[in-house]
Amino acid sequence: MRLRYFVRRLAMLIVSLLVASFVIFAAIYLAPGNPIAALSGGRSIPPDSLRVLEARYHLDQPFLVQYWFWLTNALHGNLGISITLRENVSDLIASRISTTAGLVLYSSILIIALGVGLGILSGLRPGLLDTSVLVITAISASLPAFVAAIVLILVFAVQLQWFPSIGNGVGFLDQVKHLTLPAFALAVSSLAIVARVTRSAIREEARREHVQTAVSRGIPTALLIWRHVLRNAAIPITTISGITIASLIAVAAVVEVVFGLAGLGAYLVLSAQSKDLAVVQGISLLLVTAFVAVNVLVDVLYVVLDPRVSLGSRQ
Amino acid sequence: MKGKLTTQKVMAVLGVVALLAAACGGRTAGSSGGGGQLATTTKPGTKPVDKVVWAVYRDVNSLDPIFAFDYPENTTDSLLYESLLRQGPDGSLGPGLATLTYTDQTTLVFTLKPGVTFWDGSPLTTDDVIYSLNRNTDAKLAGFYPAIFSRVQSITATGANEVTIKLKQPDYWFQSEMASIPGMIIEKRFAQAQGSKYGTPPGSIMGTGSYKFQSWQPGVAVVMVRNDSYWNPAVKPLVREIDIKGVPKDDVLTSALLTGGINGVFAQSLTTLDQLKASKAVTVTQGPGWYTDAFIVSDLKGPLGDVRVRQALSLALDRKGLIQAIYHGTAVLPRWISNPGTFGYGKSVFDSAYNAAPEMTQDLAKAKQLIIDAGATGKTFTIGMSQDLVGINTESTALKAAAEAIGMKAKLHSVSPDNFINFFIDPKARVGVDGFFTLNYGDYAGPEALLATFLLPDGSQNFDLYGVQGTDAHAADHVKAFTMMDDARSTADPNARAQKVVDVEKFIATDLPWIPVLEPLVPVVTSANLSGSYSSFAYMFSPWADKLGGT
Repeated sequence: MRLRYFVRRLAMLIVSLLVASFVIFAAIYLAPGNPIAALSGGRSIPPDSLRVLEARYHLDQPFLVQYWFWLTNALHGNLGISITLRENVSDLIASRISTTAGLVLYSSILIIALGVGLGILSGLRPGLLDTSVLVITAISASLPAFVAAIVLILVFAVQLQWFPSIGNGVGFLDQVKHLTLPAFALAVSSLAIVARVTRSAIREEARREHVQTAVSRGIPTALLIWRHVLRNAAIPITTISGITIASLIAVAAVVEVVFGLAGLGAYLVLSAQSKDLAVVQGISLLLVTAFVAVNVLVDVLYVVLDPRVSLGSRQ
Repeated sequence: MKGKLTTQKVMAVLGVVALLAAACGGRTAGSSGGGGQLATTTKPGTKPVDKVVWAVYRDVNSLDPIFAFDYPENTTDSLLYESLLRQGPDGSLGPGLATLTYTDQTTLVFTLKPGVTFWDGSPLTTDDVIYSLNRNTDAKLAGFYPAIFSRVQSITATGANEVTIKLKQPDYWFQSEMASIPGMIIEKRFAQAQGSKYGTPPGSIMGTGSYKFQSWQPGVAVVMVRNDSYWNPAVKPLVREIDIKGVPKDDVLTSALLTGGINGVFAQSLTTLDQLKASKAVTVTQGPGWYTDAFIVSDLKGPLGDVRVRQALSLALDRKGLIQAIYHGTAVLPRWISNPGTFGYGKSVFDSAYNAAPEMTQDLAKAKQLIIDAGATGKTFTIGMSQDLVGINTESTALKAAAEAIGMKAKLHSVSPDNFINFFIDPKARVGVDGFFTLNYGDYAGPEALLATFLLPDGSQNFDLYGVQGTDAHAADHVKAFTMMDDARSTADPNARAQKVVDVEKFIATDLPWIPVLEPLVPVVTSANLSGSYSSFAYMFSPWADKLGGT
């Protein structure tokens, strides 16, 4: 059963990648602009040089031929060459993957630790704390990442000068320092949503009969919360955390641009603007794969959390 | 300074926030600055600095000079490589890696300076020079400067330290190109070993500059360090490391400048310039530009084929409004098409003629009369533009308003920002379009560098085929501009050559194949404790950081 589940997910991934690659290729192909012209920033490139470069990157071929070139190379593990940088796309992606991975991981930790933590606290402690968490999360849930980024830069970079506003940093600690504001900017709205979902899941579970029974039997509070409330509330919490973390992969682009980080998202935006097709394809496929992988991980977590669920069941 | 909050800083950043919301800066009062008397360098630095991060408007794409065709690559290459000749910060032409003598009108002898070495210690040879120059015209490499060499017959070594360039016919523009990007020298042996990887992120490079290449991580920075064994002992840069970083967004650049994440930038039409000027964290200096903001007339068959219509539009345009709206005060009114910053030779000739020419100011009454005389009342022309390019949009709207104020009609043909470039490279994109705006420059400090691109029949930007028989109804008259240009190109004496270019400028200031809009300056923004860079457009071609340092 488990094997069949993974085989089916793998097949779905391959189909998604094929469809995505074709749609993205077509979209970029149809989009206006000329990737060679993007090299000169608006000055007129000599026509002869333009022709040589277009032939080199098969830009003079019809759409389907270009796509076929790309696809056959990709199947051989060759993602092609960036027109702007004349370097292998796989190398270019590899050099940026750690920034995006680090950023998404950092944000995920914030979302889970702070989001779930705040949700549990406010779910279990009605009163002033609960009300303030509700108000704060209501505001921050509706805060887009780029607005959060500007506010964070204004307060913590320009005013307090605690954190830098631009760049990746060198060495582990410096990188963590450089990623802190971006990670908070990326996490803030998801964090609020996770906190609110956690809070209501906890509230709902706490009202259940078996919990009330356990209370009347005098089971210690810590054990009660851990075994009877949290365990049952875990499914909705996992679902919302999974969805928000998977979406971080896409939203990271916005934050990377604002903080001048050399990540995949910012690079995707840049390459799409300069019509650097091979790069757009490479990054998009990686993002699709990452998205599918996070969802598989969430599925697996369901099984661990709730023995009644089995992988691949259609419930 | 750390942790201390000044009101100006908060105001500055609040300004950034406001900009993001409105995507358009408010107008503020400010002087338009003066042309002519601008400083070409900032005060030399006095203290050593460990590291400077310098911003460019996008990431560097290549470190191979034959592909350096835009601000980021030029800014970087001018520190790493040196040209055979060199343009000073004021645009004056002098020796670089070599000295030049003409043995006759078509023979240029370059004598290499003794003791010049590449970063790896190998001496500069004639082989390196010949190889580097020939790469420009190698069709397989598809470099961007082959046209520069159109009059070159041969490039040969005529001595151990001597390279002779024979021309097919006299070309006194070519020498200045040898002080620009096409004249930059790389090491032959190293480049051949690198092959197609030369100047790409996985590859490396070899130059002679006072800064040597260290590393390049795309998206992060090009890192260069001071070359402590630089061949010229008189040059001792104060900054140990310079990182060139692409920062495309004005708001990102602004907060990074205010927090010290970025230490300097040669900015163009920066939307947050007023905020930066108000901050104590940075210094803003304005130097002479070599670029021109102009409206390109791309079709002479439509209403703009009538010179009176072109003159009327020029008279109707609200240039003073555009100085504030687009350049935040860092541009001046034109007298000619060429920016006075480009007067790199024959200075006194150019200056006196330029100062005697009238400033192009608004005169609606005269413009209306011209439209009536031309019988162009009610006629429509089309402006190629992009609503999403803020500067281009502002200018196009201003020209539309100008046309309507004098009884004409103008249509805006808007394309996406990425498609805007197609007006320059794709004749199909220009169909149905009468003209479009540009910020344009030549390769060196000489007005002809830009003029040649749109006045010569085969010029890369002669979109309306100005002066070409069969397509231009007034070709017989317009061809004058071309013959005068050609005459200047063959004139040896700089002052005499300048006089001939002056005549061209005067002719086209009336005939307006391109309508001059503004002459932008170069705003240099640096951290307040940093000084000594060039403040003129020469930073695009010559080592601009040799005197950069702490203050």
